[in-house]
Amino acid sequence: MLSVRDLHVSYGGIRALRGVSIDVHKGEIITIIGANGAGKSTLLNAISGILKPSQGEITFNGAPLKREPSKNVKLGICHVPEGRLVFANLTVKDNLALGAYLRTDRKKIASDLERVYELFPRIKERSSQIAGTLSGGEQQMLAMGRALMTDGDLVLMDEPSLGLAPILVHTVFQIIKEILRLGKTILLVEQNANMALKIADRAYVLEQGLIVKTGPAADIASDPAIRAAYLGSKSVAGG
Amino acid sequence: MAQFLQQLVNGLSIGSIYALMAVGYSLVYSIMNFSNFAHGSVIMLGAYLGYYSMTLLGLPFWLAFIAAALGTALIAVVLERLAYKPLRDRKATFLYFIITAMGASIFIDNFVIATIGPTPKMFPAVFAQGPILFGKIALGRIDLAMFVISAICLAALIIFIDYTKMGKAIQATSFNMKASTLMGINTNMVIFIVFAIGGALAGIAGVLYGMKYQVFPQIGGITLKSFIAAVFGGLGSLPGALLGALVLGLVETLVSGYLSTQYRDLIAFLILITMLIVRPSGIMGKNAEDKA
Repeated sequence: MLSVRDLHVSYGGIRALRGVSIDVHKGEIITIIGANGAGKSTLLNAISGILKPSQGEITFNGAPLKREPSKNVKLGICHVPEGRLVFANLTVKDNLALGAYLRTDRKKIASDLERVYELFPRIKERSSQIAGTLSGGEQQMLAMGRALMTDGDLVLMDEPSLGLAPILVHTVFQIIKEILRLGKTILLVEQNANMALKIADRAYVLEQGLIVKTGPAADIASDPAIRAAYLGSKSVAGG
Repeated sequence: MAQFLQQLVNGLSIGSIYALMAVGYSLVYSIMNFSNFAHGSVIMLGAYLGYYSMTLLGLPFWLAFIAAALGTALIAVVLERLAYKPLRDRKATFLYFIITAMGASIFIDNFVIATIGPTPKMFPAVFAQGPILFGKIALGRIDLAMFVISAICLAALIIFIDYTKMGKAIQATSFNMKASTLMGINTNMVIFIVFAIGGALAGIAGVLYGMKYQVFPQIGGITLKSFIAAVFGGLGSLPGALLGALVLGLVETLVSGYLSTQYRDLIAFLILITMLIVRPSGIMGKNAEDKA
């Protein structure tokens, strides 16, 4: 479904990605784990078109992706950005409606909205509230719901558990599994490697802009070197 | 009491036209985070477009408004393409935008001086002479027109921003451009619309201003007052710009009426400076956090 080949991205004089190749197949949850600054967010930003690669290619369903995020949305890429970035000046309902900005299929939009409300009952309760008044966890759910409203097939998630209380982290990962059941494919970037590896099918380990290891999530999770580097403080967050 | 009410009415009238100009500054700032100092020059061009529509083309005044609005919308959009888009493509910081805006403004003003000339021009008489009397309060016909036309335009703008899909997209983009592109919102389109709207309102404001006073190349400098209003209300905030403009209009007329017209601009700038010291984001301005 998604194929990234030899991707190089530089900005501000830093070579953030130095030849990254990954594949994502339909119906998978793929996770990218790695330390802070390894280039995880850069990879997602390059896929959705926010950052321009200096070299390499990204194809989605066989066609190259555009270098303009709004065009990639139309192709089916939906990106839940790091830090959630909900439109805090608008209501929850408006945020969700903007997710469907490019869509004209009113009936499907209405049924997708119902589905988002089923997935996030808290968001439904607060639909007329200004998004800026939501808690961090609620904002994360709104950001996910808003992305789902684009009806994209590939969901890019950037640190969805960042800054959330442990109980909410658990909820967020449950929701990611439910999103998979809606028929979506998920590319998940996480610092919480423990949790990410638990729900993922396959994993890539990113270090200083390079993929250093890849394989089934279970294998990566049991790899001694990985355990030492990324899973050291075992199961604080839920395992 | 009658005198106070009279000043109040005058203040609302001048405040409403400040508002029409101020929202242009605010709209652009809300999306692009810089003060478009070429906006005053676009207002001035609007005044000339209205003037020549009536004198050369012989259009009725209402058509002159429409012609000026369309003309300045086009000018504003072209200005954006020629002056600001190259900067956007290079990801220039806001300082370059401000300098470019000032350069564009100087160019346009002097272009008009060099071609049309500096002599002020009078609009043909549109409204009957003599004020309309409400008891002891006299209301100039042009003042009434300024208030009514501005109010209609501003109401239309608010409805557009708050109740249409594109309006919501503009609000989303003003809050966070990156997140809005991830929703599929085309930033170039939003910027195009914002300049077109700001430009059209500038044209209407220019014609109104020219009708009340005169048409001359330095109108743009005078409209700097509306920039004060936008800053006072909070740059980037539409309600802020409206509130700031009305407050400024009222303060100006009250100062003129009760103190002296000589103090008018002094007080206006005093308000600006005080606001910048006490609360730089203005009454309703978005703070830096919002733009992170």
